[in-house]
Amino acid sequence: MASPNDIKKGAVLLHNTEPWVVAEFQHINPGKGAAFVRTRIKNLKNGRTLEQTYKVSESVEFVAVEYKNMQYLYKDATGYTFMDNGTYEQCTMEESAVGEQGKYLREGLDVTLTMYEERPIALQLPKKMAFKIAETMPAVKGDTAGGNVTKDAKTDNGFTVQVPLFIQEGEEVIVNTDTGMYVERA
Amino acid sequence: MNTEMLKQRSAVIKAIRAFFDGQGYVEMHTPRLVGIPSQEPHLEPLWTEVLGIDASRHPAALITSPEHALKRLLAAGMDKVYDLGSCFRNGEPWDGTHDPEFLMIEWYRKQANLASLMDETEAMVRAVHGTILPVIFSMPERPFRRLTVTDAWRHYAGIDLIPLLENREAMAAAARAHDQVVNEEDTWDDLYYKIFLSKIEPHVGEEPTFLYRYPASQAGLSLRSADDTRFADRVEFYIGGMELANGFAELSDAAEQRARFQEDVRLRAALHKKTWLLDEPFLKALPGMGEAVGIALGVDRLVMLLTGATSINDVIPFSARERFTH
Repeated sequence: MASPNDIKKGAVLLHNTEPWVVAEFQHINPGKGAAFVRTRIKNLKNGRTLEQTYKVSESVEFVAVEYKNMQYLYKDATGYTFMDNGTYEQCTMEESAVGEQGKYLREGLDVTLTMYEERPIALQLPKKMAFKIAETMPAVKGDTAGGNVTKDAKTDNGFTVQVPLFIQEGEEVIVNTDTGMYVERA
Repeated sequence: MNTEMLKQRSAVIKAIRAFFDGQGYVEMHTPRLVGIPSQEPHLEPLWTEVLGIDASRHPAALITSPEHALKRLLAAGMDKVYDLGSCFRNGEPWDGTHDPEFLMIEWYRKQANLASLMDETEAMVRAVHGTILPVIFSMPERPFRRLTVTDAWRHYAGIDLIPLLENREAMAAAARAHDQVVNEEDTWDDLYYKIFLSKIEPHVGEEPTFLYRYPASQAGLSLRSADDTRFADRVEFYIGGMELANGFAELSDAAEQRARFQEDVRLRAALHKKTWLLDEPFLKALPGMGEAVGIALGVDRLVMLLTGATSINDVIPFSARERFTH
């Protein structure tokens, strides 16, 4: 048995005798109450999601999972396909399981997959990644007077990120893949 | 950290002071370093030691809130006071909404009730919002929602809270019906929070909301409600999905306050946590405070809301995460 303090995104919990993967978690201390960990968990058998709150002092049971370093290959109708560079084994993760993280994937990227019963259930990206700015409007005089400090910029991977006004097309920027926010110039 | 947001933080702090100064409040700089910090069951002070020139050693802690000092000032004859300064809480997660050193605005006034406290909190948040550019958070024109805890349970979880009050078995059945794990050692309040945090709290802050009238077991330092003592006159303020403030119609009955403190100490001991003496000067002063209301609001979170920051680390110059991790 383990502590709810060890709950992480991608961990697999045994809840009512079934395996559930942690999609989101948050530590909460309501001040006047005990300390809790609020989670959103997804049933690995039927896909049902649940909001579940654990008291930090109670115990939870984790199911053993395996972590594999894989390389991203391509996306098609079945989902995102990755390859183990040691064994050349490939596996595919459904688009719905990858979710928002999919926009950061590009060919050849090294990621860590969480495997449960030989099946990928969660994906871990590098926390910070560099992207080239493909399209953004040049800064216009007067923008800052109106209080605007950021603008939209489209990356070479096709997603849009808020960047400071001084960033120009062709520059590389670092994006935090947890928050989706601009960090700094590459 | 984000230097543009830090500039806005500075403007927010100025606007808060301007609001309270305009309302006739007096700013107090109460001690950060005290001998007896408040002893809430799940808040951990940061401990240190004060050394005298005679080599005497005095255990000391940084305050988790200026509540005790401000109430003693009311008892000493002040009417409207605020304290804008750092507070410290140890052992909390550095998850983007907490920092062990955070900025709090806490204010008290005599001869007021919970409704007027909500009025004043709303007026302050609107006034500060109106002075900050660019406008990131769109403030609704209609008054902030005021929702009792009972109404929130009915609305978001479809649960009638009244029959569950002070009934642990009924609360356990409700928790099970809402997918929660129920353990034998779970108290009524533990089960309350499992349901509340899973099913209700995530939705409360979707629009600016005062959640008020808490079960009496979560009264903290508040008065029990005059019309039904199973409830207490406590209020929490949610906005932009965050809990921003916690306030009370203040308890001034020293005997009841002592009993609640003793219960807190008992609970801390049961959880194998450090315990210490009760704040006797505070208990002695309490009856002299009379009727009063007070509330504490997290300034860093208000800055997050007004700047659109997704992490508290953006709005604090050198957050704990920057100072203590590499």
